[in-house]
Amino acid sequence: MSAYILRRLLSVIPITLGVLLITFLLFRVVGGNPAYRIAGKNATQERIAQIARERGYDKPYFLNWQAFPTGLFDAQFPRLCRQLLRGDFGESIKTKQRVSTMLREGVLPSLCVTTPLFFIELALAIALALLAAYYRDTWIDRGIMVVAVTGMSISSLVYIMVAQYWLASEWRLFPVWGFEGPQYLVLPVLIGVVAGTGGSVRFYRTVMLDEMYQDYVRTARAKGVSPRGVLFRHVLRNAMIPILTNVIVAIPFLYTGALLLENFFGIPGLGRLTVTALFTGDEDVIFATTFIGAILFVVANTITDIAYTWADPRIRLR
Amino acid sequence: MSWRPSLLILLMGAVVARGAEPSPRVLYGSGGDFKGFDPVDSGDVESADQVCRVYEGLLEYDYLTRPYRVIPRLAAALPEVSPDGLTYTFKLRQGVRFQDDPCFPGGRGREVTAEDFVYSFRRLLDPKLESQGDWIFINHVLGAKEWAQRGDHNAPLPGFAARDRYTLEIRLAKPYPQLLWVLTMPYAFVVPREAVEFYGANFRNHPVGTGPFRLKSWRRNYRIEYERNPTFNGQRYPSEGEPEDRAAGLLADAGKPLPLLDRLVDYDIQEYYTMWQMFLGGQLYSSGINKDYFEKVITPELGLSDALKKKGIRLYKVPNLVTNYIGFNMRDPVVGPNKKLRQAFATALDVDKYIAVITNGRYSPANTPIPPGIPGHTNRPYPYQYNLSRAKQLLAEAGYPGGRDAQGRPLRLTMIMPGAGSTDARQLADFWAEQLRAIGIELVVQQLTFAEYLRREHDGETQLFIAGWVIDYPDAENFLKLFYGPNKCPGVNATNYQNPEFDRLYEQIATMPDSPERTALYERMAQITLDDCVWALIGYPLAYGLYQPWFQNYKPHAFPYANWKFYKVLPH
Repeated sequence: MSAYILRRLLSVIPITLGVLLITFLLFRVVGGNPAYRIAGKNATQERIAQIARERGYDKPYFLNWQAFPTGLFDAQFPRLCRQLLRGDFGESIKTKQRVSTMLREGVLPSLCVTTPLFFIELALAIALALLAAYYRDTWIDRGIMVVAVTGMSISSLVYIMVAQYWLASEWRLFPVWGFEGPQYLVLPVLIGVVAGTGGSVRFYRTVMLDEMYQDYVRTARAKGVSPRGVLFRHVLRNAMIPILTNVIVAIPFLYTGALLLENFFGIPGLGRLTVTALFTGDEDVIFATTFIGAILFVVANTITDIAYTWADPRIRLR
Repeated sequence: MSWRPSLLILLMGAVVARGAEPSPRVLYGSGGDFKGFDPVDSGDVESADQVCRVYEGLLEYDYLTRPYRVIPRLAAALPEVSPDGLTYTFKLRQGVRFQDDPCFPGGRGREVTAEDFVYSFRRLLDPKLESQGDWIFINHVLGAKEWAQRGDHNAPLPGFAARDRYTLEIRLAKPYPQLLWVLTMPYAFVVPREAVEFYGANFRNHPVGTGPFRLKSWRRNYRIEYERNPTFNGQRYPSEGEPEDRAAGLLADAGKPLPLLDRLVDYDIQEYYTMWQMFLGGQLYSSGINKDYFEKVITPELGLSDALKKKGIRLYKVPNLVTNYIGFNMRDPVVGPNKKLRQAFATALDVDKYIAVITNGRYSPANTPIPPGIPGHTNRPYPYQYNLSRAKQLLAEAGYPGGRDAQGRPLRLTMIMPGAGSTDARQLADFWAEQLRAIGIELVVQQLTFAEYLRREHDGETQLFIAGWVIDYPDAENFLKLFYGPNKCPGVNATNYQNPEFDRLYEQIATMPDSPERTALYERMAQITLDDCVWALIGYPLAYGLYQPWFQNYKPHAFPYANWKFYKVLPH
């Protein structure tokens, strides 16, 4: 298994490189030389050239053939990769702040929203899916499915706007915006749960129904195991693999934040930071969040695979 | 600060007060590009606004009087100017102290001296700091360019000298009548050397100024809180203004010590919908009006809706001192040598329709590159007013009858604009393309990222470009320099326009102090650019702002950065 884990973890290199390459192409190659923005409209040509020189924007994008062989990799993309590998995320073009500081400051606010959102949504989705599966083809099942489909069919933006208008502005049940205390998190978490649970309920219900028609369930019932015992001891356990896949893969997104919720509710987290960086072309911030996101995603996938062996002892990782 | 494309000009803003609290609490929502509290990095609206709360300079704008004029702030009086206009001598106010801060011995802020200004001005020119504001001095102050190129901090810079503790001398390479205007800009504010050295790279996060407020707390991307600076000394609310100011209650606080607010809290609200809800809920002092909300808020007669009037909300329409235009690159082989073609293009633009359909009436049509309110603006009619048949005729005279050249090939022009991916930019692009199609010109609009747009414009890789110029100071020279030949790409003259007569006049006005003769020259120069059709003018934008009834002492100002000390909030 350790060879498998090592292999999976090594895959972080090509995946991260690929993701970075796409981001680099989009923001640096297509987006243009940032030296012009840094220097401003009134800048002289010398000033622009100086900024480009100091920050390496005057180098070739990928390979520096002029400096072959020793300086072949003295180019913009290899420099970016080396810089990120050193843990140096650079400086934001827009805010002139260290990106590492911006990321550090954004983690906690993001986790304050995404962690309760993640656990509440997970517990609620599994509970509703179990209920729907257990009472399949009854009004309870149909009712849950109608609510789930409705919930997932409506855009998060609609929930946010309706909730901000009615619940916060008109009825003043919650603050409209801000990050001053736990009460400020209730509405974004609530909206996140309402908007995000429906899809998971449908998925988990399908998984559980698949299991409920398996032979071992019939056998368990024939042996006199109670319906609740069948559901929790057998069905839920065997449905774990797809559930684990769904759950663990979502973990990196706890870190990357809830983009829309953070932006509308003023949560100064990484989601908001990323949205702002995307809109303003703040490329160092985008490179850093992409880099970290890619690594976390590969790690989460590896953990998912390992978790399979725990959930189903028949699985062997090679 | 000097330039922004029209699409990026948004009035964002919002503030609040809770009257029940012993000291008013004011919240402000800003746009989000904030770079910290370093005056050398105050080139964007948000940074300049924040920097002005904490820092000050030698001069500032008089808040209430119009036309705009400068008055002393940290200077004791306006400077003495030598007869040749090359030496400005400022006497500083005595007893002005930097706010208390750990960077000073014993934590007690020390007195501001002339040396502090020399240090701060030299710092602005330091190329390592990559300031966008060095242009205010670099080509004007004696030895500034050479000093900046040398990059040696210890080298002498003859243009700035502290003659004694309270006497600052600025020596110029050539007369620079705009010097007093640029000294009001945050770039020219004074910082203490101790703070720069104590905080190092973090100086931008630890402001130590002389201004009306001091930073209490700052959470990036979310909240900035200020409190009254207890060592802010001496300034009082103005007791003179325009005749209508008294009736408007703007002189009710005359003579009161500033600032009038004890606390000021800024929130960085990025979603307009959220800001609008908070404004309606009375949490924010102000709001801009988003395009999508315009018809709900503003009546067809461009007044405020009854619902908002009932709440006591006030509407201000403020000219932005901006001119928006489509520039022609005179180096381009198609549009450059063909004046008739440029004139046909300009005459085909239905600006009235643009203003009605695209901007909700938030522009006034432009008739000269110099916007109203600036000496040099005239009321002469725009020579290229929309006229389709005239445009077609001009196009034929230009050698493109029906939009086709002599070989029958269609005329295709390419225009660049910023705002890649933006729906508003797309809408704008489609609108202009449709206008030109009516006379047979195929207009290809390329929406670029801001960086790429700047690069193309800077390097002269354009045929047409859509742009706007936000004035830096109320002097038409700030617009006319965009047509001066030696300023061509990579300078600010992005059209690469060169006209010997215009250049001669520019060199003449560049050193002339304000006078009726200079204003007459401004008018003449603007007319030359109109005759040559260097820009196809679009309009002068108006900013629409809404204000709560409890937000007091607000008077629209084109350079409003240092005005927070005048505002107050009533209990509500």
